[in-house]
Amino acid sequence: MMELEALQAVLPQIRDLGASLVAISPQRPTYGRAVRRRAALEFDVLSDEGLKVAKAFGLVFTLPSYLEELYRSFGKTLDKYHGEPAYRLPLPARYVVDRRRQIRGADVNADYTVRPDPEETLAHLRGLLPNAERERPKPTMRM
Amino acid sequence: MTLQARLDAFKASFESGAPPFNVPRSAIEIMHRATKELRRSGQAERALGMGARAPAFALPNQDGKIISAEDLLASGPLVISFFRGHW
Repeated sequence: MMELEALQAVLPQIRDLGASLVAISPQRPTYGRAVRRRAALEFDVLSDEGLKVAKAFGLVFTLPSYLEELYRSFGKTLDKYHGEPAYRLPLPARYVVDRRRQIRGADVNADYTVRPDPEETLAHLRGLLPNAERERPKPTMRM
Repeated sequence: MTLQARLDAFKASFESGAPPFNVPRSAIEIMHRATKELRRSGQAERALGMGARAPAFALPNQDGKIISAEDLLASGPLVISFFRGHW
């Protein structure tokens, strides 16, 4: 949530750089609505039920039974949120993907309390700009 | 305050055992153990990284509308944030 709020804060800059932003979680869409409301997000929160997309990125792990038990005791019922009995989650990850679908920025961490600053993502996006400029050459300025 | 500073402040408060979270020490130790094991598994290093081709996807958004990577990438680069959930 804190990471999504931080990304929301730079959403205008992301859009100025010609890019778009989506968040993906294994939760059913109703929880996506809750997240957007609570954090006042203006970007889409996608529902990756069954974690197929997270799996394609290599991010899915199954919680050890002792952690599942703890989460249940806290009322964090992932089976209800995800619509599947297994307690599986994606590793927290942030990607920058260029128009040819090549990954140009990647931050994956096993520790969900360690996340990159949105500024790093903006830097990755700025790094993609020179190519865009080459595709649309501007007239050279004469002094 | 940077995102990491905010995360650190939250973590310190959460793990203090004090209100509003009142998390017992035993629970914190269980979470630390799980994070340590996940880190040691090396999975983060095996996940897709720089230079790899991102998988295509089409998923429902919060309102059930299907959003595809292909459509988003037609207009420019895409930032994807994988997160656990609302909890």
